Amino acid sequence: MKQKTYVSGYFNDDKDLIVAIKKLQEKEVVIADVRTPFPVHGLDTVLKLRRSRLPKAGFVAGSIGLIAGFGFQAWVFTEGWPLNFGGKPFMSIPSFIPVTFEVTVLFAALALVFGFLLGSGLGPGAPTEIFDEEVSNDRFQILLTANATKKESSQQLLKEVGALGVKIHEPKS
Amino acid sequence: MYVSPVREPLISGEKSYEKVTRDIYSPMAGQPGKLWYAGLTLAIIALMFGLFSIFVTVWDGIGTWGLNRTIGWGWGITNFVWWVGIGHAGTFISAILLLFRQKWRTSINRSAEAMTIFAVMCAGLFPLIHMGRLPLAFFIFPYPNTRDVWVNFNSPLLWDVFAISTYFLVSLLFWYMGLIPDIGTIRDRLVPGIKKKIYAFLSFGWTGSARHWARHESMSLILAGLAAPLVLSVHTIVSFDFATSVIPGWHTTIFPPYFVSGAIFSGFAMVLTLMIITRKALHLEDYITKNHVESMNKIIITTGSIVGIAYITELFMAWYSGVIYEKFAFWNRAFGPYWWAYWIMMTCNVITPQLFWFKKIRRSLTITFIISIFVNIGMWFERFVIIVTSLHRDFLPSSWSMYKPTWVEVGIYVGTFGLFFTMFFLFIRFFPVIAIAEVKSVLKSSAEKFVKKK
Amino acid sequence: MVIGAILAAIGIIFNLDHSHRIWANVLLNGFFFTAIALGAVFFVVVHVLGESGWHTAIQRIPEAMGQFIPFGGIILLIVALLGMHDIYHWSHTEHLDKILEGKKAYLNPIFFIVRTVVYLVVWTLLMWKLRQLSLASDRSDDLKLFSRSRIWAAIFIVIFAVTSSTSAWDWIMSIDAHWFSTLFGWYIFSGFFVSSVAIIIVLLFVLRRMGYMEQVNDEHLHDLGKYLFGFSIFWAYLWVSQYLLIWYSNIPEETVYFVKRQEDFSIIFFMNVVINFGAPLLMLMSRGSKRRLTWLLVTSVVVFIGHWIDLYVAIMPGVIGEPHFGVLEVGMTLLCLGFFLFIFFRSFAKAPVVPENHPYFKESFEYDNIR
Repeated sequence: MKQKTYVSGYFNDDKDLIVAIKKLQEKEVVIADVRTPFPVHGLDTVLKLRRSRLPKAGFVAGSIGLIAGFGFQAWVFTEGWPLNFGGKPFMSIPSFIPVTFEVTVLFAALALVFGFLLGSGLGPGAPTEIFDEEVSNDRFQILLTANATKKESSQQLLKEVGALGVKIHEPKS
Repeated sequence: MYVSPVREPLISGEKSYEKVTRDIYSPMAGQPGKLWYAGLTLAIIALMFGLFSIFVTVWDGIGTWGLNRTIGWGWGITNFVWWVGIGHAGTFISAILLLFRQKWRTSINRSAEAMTIFAVMCAGLFPLIHMGRLPLAFFIFPYPNTRDVWVNFNSPLLWDVFAISTYFLVSLLFWYMGLIPDIGTIRDRLVPGIKKKIYAFLSFGWTGSARHWARHESMSLILAGLAAPLVLSVHTIVSFDFATSVIPGWHTTIFPPYFVSGAIFSGFAMVLTLMIITRKALHLEDYITKNHVESMNKIIITTGSIVGIAYITELFMAWYSGVIYEKFAFWNRAFGPYWWAYWIMMTCNVITPQLFWFKKIRRSLTITFIISIFVNIGMWFERFVIIVTSLHRDFLPSSWSMYKPTWVEVGIYVGTFGLFFTMFFLFIRFFPVIAIAEVKSVLKSSAEKFVKKK
Repeated sequence: MVIGAILAAIGIIFNLDHSHRIWANVLLNGFFFTAIALGAVFFVVVHVLGESGWHTAIQRIPEAMGQFIPFGGIILLIVALLGMHDIYHWSHTEHLDKILEGKKAYLNPIFFIVRTVVYLVVWTLLMWKLRQLSLASDRSDDLKLFSRSRIWAAIFIVIFAVTSSTSAWDWIMSIDAHWFSTLFGWYIFSGFFVSSVAIIIVLLFVLRRMGYMEQVNDEHLHDLGKYLFGFSIFWAYLWVSQYLLIWYSNIPEETVYFVKRQEDFSIIFFMNVVINFGAPLLMLMSRGSKRRLTWLLVTSVVVFIGHWIDLYVAIMPGVIGEPHFGVLEVGMTLLCLGFFLFIFFRSFAKAPVVPENHPYFKESFEYDNIR
């Protein structure tokens, strides 16, 4: 979201937001971003957002954790440092279960969190442009690029669908 | 989402989104009150005393504790299990109630999760110091070393290391990920300055973009799905510390789910203790309502009853098994030298929560507060009874002994309260105590009167 | 049911000299289907106490399932009265060893029959009362009926909590009378509860085919799928808890239970875990899988068979010593299944398909699970 001119308009209600988005979509306007103070029900369907790949990443990571956790314990107990505990077999599968489970969950959770942060470009000190500080409070914002369609200006479009406080945001040089 | 009009509102009063932000932000704004300073000071004093006790332990040795050759685990491990148990409520509220679509969790999950993290920190202290040589604590982690030695993966004590570490990390991540949007809200409210820069840094660049929210929800749901079995596994593995032994009163198959229920039981009691005070002190009564308290009390009576049934099952099986050592272990609990601990446990854990069958009591904040304290006392005694009474008189009468804590052990326990409350006071000052965005998302459907901005 | 009767009859005739095998099968199926019916009542009760709304779309299915309790209970009573000596060693009161002598106060034929009757009567009364209140709410707008349902649900749950365990000890654990496990009651509960959920799904599929239950949407399926998934994992958790602890401490009087099963029943023993844990875990992990009725049906059938096997592993080693599986097992199961379905359809037809007067009914159609 750098070095571009954006036009923003906001709404006071999530239902108004969705109605406006649908109207814009009818006019085949490309919406740059929609920002809300909380996750709005049905918004991702309306925007036709691609289903997140995080679950798959989590599953893969968890599977790696499962194999790594179990495999490592098996190696330690058969090759690395076999210990005789209560006369049980070295390849003692039942007692490997707890650590295997924990490592599986750990790997999956780490993959999910880092996948989320990296995939969304978020992180400690990540730079972002907040166009309207009231969005995180109670405004539902639509962002369009400066020339969203050839026919009408973006400001015009936003006003037509009922947006309040339409503003232009020049990039900071 | 439609909510039946028969249901009671979860947020009382007239609220707009803006009001929600303001209400939750207000304890963080301006100067903290005298009570906050007083509380924090007391907590730090307790923490200092605890640190001193730990110093004595490490410098003079574990001999400064009251442990002896028969009773190798006393207050230290009792406190460990007690704190870990308390930590379970946070994850239960965040994860399991999310999976069950319980909207009422939105007012309490942030604080409960914070409570979990602080409780696990307190819990983790005990295994660390009871091993004695703190500088060598890293030995518990498996890493390639020149001694060609690995950790014992078949020991429940090592399973604990993995379980508690994973639990701490995952809880921290889950809590923080949920916090990010709210930190963004705080950041946007502040005037430019150092404070704003710090919160901007902590907000990780959050913008509220729909794409990010979608991923955030997906991640939260799966983290919840992971955290739910995780929370069960952690206290299960803690119970394995006892159940994998051969000692009567310790080795019994019901321990895993019984310990988990007990953990949720004491955890919710602690959440209630904290929330009943916090809501008053921070003027958040509209968000943490009697309905929330009632719902938490229902969980308390459920888990408390499960614990009670587990007690009865153990007693029955002790007789049914025909094993004289089992029979004696349970007779000794009720009528031996520690009978007083056993009966405190029974009264606090089995009898007091049964009062919550009555709706009036469920909805009374004062009685709930009192009962929540009793529950936590009772659950402390439960761990004490399990650990000490089973150890002090097991198979060989010539080894029978008694145990009494020393001031050092008591001091460390007091110190953990200091640590917990220091963190908690800092938390309520610098972070929003209620999940702002989550409350807003249920405001329309569950507020008493939702006010739309014109 | 007719096929089952014929097969069961053939099976019985071929095995008349192995009466304990016959009785073991009657016990297995009698318990399984009674427990499934009881689990269905528990399902409704838990949702009533939890003040949930989504379940109202399907609640008539578990309610009708619960009607089987008295009939299943009678089967169990017959087992207790007539089959006791074939199944339970402790019932041979003339030659008890020292351990069984010690348990005589609890494990004796008279007390056993009394307990069986008490379970049967109390469960039936509670199930009936809850059903009455639910049906009454269809005819009246009185919200007091719902508060009364909550009270009766609370009474049920307390009694269920105790009796589900004690009945499991009585009918199943006492087969291996020298053995004991404090977790056993909850372990059996987890098995039959997940089977109840599986049967709810199967019956939903059947009713859909017959043209009913059109109001059930993908969200309801998703929730049922979550239960099937989650409680299968819960069952596996309890299985591992019991097994790991007994394995780890290695105390002979406890391990003898698993040694017998691992050595003489080994394939079935391990299949039990694979089917009841591995299958639902992998089959229901993805979101989409929980929203397709046909896939849920397949998984539910697998789970149902799996928990029948679980009871087989629990009951048979103590009664007959070696695995036998043949016409008798299939026949008896089909017979009881047929009986169960007969009672179910009869009860289901007696009530409106949906409780439209329920205050939370509308909520059941206006919610969705996160993408």
